[in-house]
Amino acid sequence: MENIVETQKLTKAYGDFIAVNELDMEVKKGEVFGFLGPNGAGKTTTILMLMGLSVPTKGTAIVAGHDVVEESREVRRVASILPEYSSLYGELTAWENLDYIGRLNDQPKEERENRVAEMLDIVGMSKWADNKLESFSRGMKQRIGIASTLMKDPQVVFLDEPTIGLDPVATREVRDLIMRLNKEKDLTVVMTSHLLHEIQMTCSKIGIINRGKLILLESMENLNKTMSGGEDRRVEFMLTETTPDLVKDLESVNGVKSVAQENGRLYVYGGADSDLEVSRTITRHGAYILMMKPREYTLEEIFMKYYNQEVAG
Amino acid sequence: MAGTMTVASKEIRDQFGSRRFLILFGLIVVLGGLSAYQGVDYIRNNVGSSFVYIFSGARMSFSFIQIMVFFGPILGLALGFDAVNKERANGTLSIVLGQPIYRDSVINGKFLAGAAALTTLALTTIAIMCGITIPMLGFAPTLEEALKILSLALLTMIYLLLWLCLGILYSVVFKKTSTSILASIATWMTFSIVISIVASALAGALVPLPGGDIIFTPGGQSGEGGQRFSVSPEYMEAMQERMALQTAIQNISPTQLYQGTASAILGTSSFGFGRQEFARVTTLGEALANNWANITALTVVMVAAFAASYMMFLRTEIRPGD
Repeated sequence: MENIVETQKLTKAYGDFIAVNELDMEVKKGEVFGFLGPNGAGKTTTILMLMGLSVPTKGTAIVAGHDVVEESREVRRVASILPEYSSLYGELTAWENLDYIGRLNDQPKEERENRVAEMLDIVGMSKWADNKLESFSRGMKQRIGIASTLMKDPQVVFLDEPTIGLDPVATREVRDLIMRLNKEKDLTVVMTSHLLHEIQMTCSKIGIINRGKLILLESMENLNKTMSGGEDRRVEFMLTETTPDLVKDLESVNGVKSVAQENGRLYVYGGADSDLEVSRTITRHGAYILMMKPREYTLEEIFMKYYNQEVAG
Repeated sequence: MAGTMTVASKEIRDQFGSRRFLILFGLIVVLGGLSAYQGVDYIRNNVGSSFVYIFSGARMSFSFIQIMVFFGPILGLALGFDAVNKERANGTLSIVLGQPIYRDSVINGKFLAGAAALTTLALTTIAIMCGITIPMLGFAPTLEEALKILSLALLTMIYLLLWLCLGILYSVVFKKTSTSILASIATWMTFSIVISIVASALAGALVPLPGGDIIFTPGGQSGEGGQRFSVSPEYMEAMQERMALQTAIQNISPTQLYQGTASAILGTSSFGFGRQEFARVTTLGEALANNWANITALTVVMVAAFAASYMMFLRTEIRPGD
């Protein structure tokens, strides 16, 4: 799959402060990429550079085949941004706001009008087309904001904290919208968020950035595999009965490191290759397995692990 | 250019729909109308007076020039002080600049919109004033008078655009609208009020008048029982030097430059809000020849302010939060 975003040693310094430090990353077409990091880590600065709005101090970045410095205007033709806490113009209606974005993209009147209607429909705001933005809730404004990013039919959109400040219902609506756009329009999305579960539910790949440095770049699938198949792998069992003999036998199974009991559950620590023998041992002892669940690490745990490693080292 | 016109058309719509512009517009039109009415009164009572006196109001009253001297800075600054930093504060700047337009389209569009609004205001006010007075007087301005009115309109536009450009400059320099509005108020007060006080104090301190040179004697020109005074040539010379210095200092202020030049074009002399006298009638050519330096100074300040805001805006780094 082709890379739609690619950076090499991308660096941004404000005086002595290095906001982004030699960032190497790539995002493939059709991915929903989650950019994670604490406040001031350099996420927004990276997005601004990728949009051609901020000039890198060093390094290069290519977006949809265009250099962000040399072909900044071309980048802005094929990429969109929705900044954090931004809103469009409150004194304009939803239709007028999108129409304005269309005009800035030099779209002919007829095409623009069709596009505005289509975008309002996609984000479910057609009913409020003639209402001023200042009368909208934060969630509605955010939906119009997302519609505005789609006006130019972009190949990639950069969403900076798209769910920040939204209530749970609006958060879910925006999240579903992002996933739907990704699936239906094959839209590449690069989003930042502090809400780790949000990223976990939405993104197919994540990058963790801290103090301007990328400390992890991995697909969610690989990340889950790595974490659940690593040294800390744990499988939780719920059995019809547990006896001291069973625990003893399980501890002797090849590949099992330890077994623990807690609140009526049995926790078996060990590699995935021991799962079959563990199940057989349980059955041999006359117990039935009511539930078997490998532990899934939350993104917060993953984030904290890498973050702590970075801080420590 | 397409981006500039798109930004300008949106901004024009915003300007004409904004309460602050409409309130100031209404106020100026009403005051202009009253001034014109008083001018008509003066012209009727002074047969042979020039039509352009409708812009001068009547003696001891306010005129179009004084309205502009007072409200012009407020208008220009009000339309420009939050042009860029408001977009930053709302987070719309990065959305607009995230579109495939040249960056200068934004600042050019905002300037064009402000210029369109101010030009409309100045021309409408002048047109309304003429429209009211021609039927009342029963005669129209001569060609020379019409050219004077046109020159006044152009000068007023330069003057208003100067303040607009200063306002835009503040909106680029200061990130917060609260700071740029304070800077705007401070500038307006400095050039409209403080400059006269400072100029008077400085001139007084730098050019002391010789003491004991005014001689009062009973009787004389003031009539029976009055007093007659004479002034020594040294005193007169010092007084003139002081006045010249005071005027030179005051001419740092665009309001003073505008007031002096506009008065010269109309053939009047103004002494601040509410006081004025009519001077000898000069031709337009004479007025322009005598005041070309003032007109150039106003134009240069306007262009410099816009050039500074243009350069700063193009160099401004878009940072998180913009």
